[in-house]
Amino acid sequence: MAKVAPRVAHSCLLLLAVSVLSFALLSAAPGNFFDELRLNPSISPETVAALKAQYGVDQPWPARYFHWLSSIVHGEFGYSLSYHCSVGSLLWPRARNTLLLTSLAMLFAWMLAIPWGIVEAVKPNSWLNHFTSWLTSILLGIPELVLGLLLLFFAARTSWVPTGGMFSSNPASASASWKLADLARHLILPVAALVLGSAPIFVRYVRSAVAEVWGAPFIEHTRGLGIPTVRLLYRHALPVAANSLISVFGFSLGALLSTSLVIEVVLSWPGLGPLALEALLSRDIYVVMAVVLLSSVFLVLGNLVADLLLYWSDPRIRTV
Amino acid sequence: MAVEGTAASNNAPPLLRVEDLCLAYEGDHALRRVRTKTIALQDVSLELCSGQTLALVGPSGSGKSSLARCLVLLERPSSGRILYQGQDILQLPRDAEKAVRQELHLVFQDSAAALNPRLTVQELVAEPLLIHRSMFPGVNFNEKVRELLDQVELGKTWHARRPLELSGGQRQRVAIARGLALRPKILVLDEALSSLDLSAQAQLADLLLDLQERHALSYLYVTHDLRMARALADEVAVLEAGRIVQSGLPAEVLTPSLQPVS
Repeated sequence: MAKVAPRVAHSCLLLLAVSVLSFALLSAAPGNFFDELRLNPSISPETVAALKAQYGVDQPWPARYFHWLSSIVHGEFGYSLSYHCSVGSLLWPRARNTLLLTSLAMLFAWMLAIPWGIVEAVKPNSWLNHFTSWLTSILLGIPELVLGLLLLFFAARTSWVPTGGMFSSNPASASASWKLADLARHLILPVAALVLGSAPIFVRYVRSAVAEVWGAPFIEHTRGLGIPTVRLLYRHALPVAANSLISVFGFSLGALLSTSLVIEVVLSWPGLGPLALEALLSRDIYVVMAVVLLSSVFLVLGNLVADLLLYWSDPRIRTV
Repeated sequence: MAVEGTAASNNAPPLLRVEDLCLAYEGDHALRRVRTKTIALQDVSLELCSGQTLALVGPSGSGKSSLARCLVLLERPSSGRILYQGQDILQLPRDAEKAVRQELHLVFQDSAAALNPRLTVQELVAEPLLIHRSMFPGVNFNEKVRELLDQVELGKTWHARRPLELSGGQRQRVAIARGLALRPKILVLDEALSSLDLSAQAQLADLLLDLQERHALSYLYVTHDLRMARALADEVAVLEAGRIVQSGLPAEVLTPSLQPVS
């Protein structure tokens, strides 16, 4: 606890700094939400000025920042000018959808990458390794957008899985299990896109971490004592290789909210991606700020989780 | 050229006999599509008798460590034979090879890299015992670990520490205790004292001599330190560019004229 408290305090300060900087930069950018209204000849400049005053847009940015900060305390995260509701009520359902998608994708990506990376590290010259290295290189070379479009094309041609959205237009009387199955079917495409995009990166991390340890003298020394290969891997190589992988895992946790933005837009997943894109285009500043802050919170939490996992898993860190 | 002095004089069969051992490393050329070949060992022959120390000296890159790794089966030689107690260990089936590996143990130069940094001294020494528990029926493993660490004179205060909390000399003691756990017949000491300061070297050399006497151990002592070779070895072989160029008793081989070569 004594080691966690300073980290949490440090993280809060970091988040505060991120929020100030983001708010200042967004406010400094030319134009605002009401600029489009000004182009409409049927709306008088007085009306636009009145609207600006009503929503506090005419105030200097520090005043607006503190107002926004106080709204966070109430869970509102400011007011969305596009949707005419508090950002909080807009944000949470979208964030939940994004988290559902990215958590599943991360889980599958790591489940795939760990054994794959280990096999590549331990059997570097096998035909399987050559084939998988080739496959990961190709997947790494395909941009996420192209991957999403390819999967969309595949789904549209085969009709095996839904091409977008989160639920079919189902009858109200549909059972919970039917709804769950429907959700699972809608998840297949975006999860597949995210797994194909991120698993090759994780495979490379796992392979390089395990290969480095697998060639270390202590592994040779231990092997010389007749320790079986499986035990050598699980008792010696993997725990030592785990440190760098835990850091990558923390980073992937931190990217949970931001990693799927492109795929959400391409595959019409009702998450934070489309919301953030629309808010950016319409300069709905408080929605953008809320998405930025939430992403920062996840990044900080991911790092904190990684640190705690390292502390728990490595006895050398505990004894420092 | 073979080192056969002690075996011949005692008329006892050698514990380890190496015959015409060759080792070449092959790899791909960095720029062209050709295979490169580096010869590390060429027709190396030597003998090691029970309870004796053979020092293998030579300049860096002469193939000393490659030979040491071949002897403990960490490298597969290109050709030649390694006869341990009369059996060619390169031709053994997997199970028999495993059993032989336990009797030939390598102690590395860099003890910090040779021990798992996450395990404590106790865990490091206990592991081979636990894996080969069938060799120790009815033995209390905690007692056995304590006994092994006592043998290498590592005090109780250090038993719960991890390798990086120990000095170089202490780590080598742990590596030796770990090796002794499986009751080996031969310890291959690959520059095992080289990274230590003079006082730690002297202490460890005394310990090695003491253990040799107690357990009738044979040592293949790989070193470039002629002073240490003279102090520990019963016989010396000089390795140069992968070949044994000279061998015999320390007093015959380790003459002042050899100093600049090695």
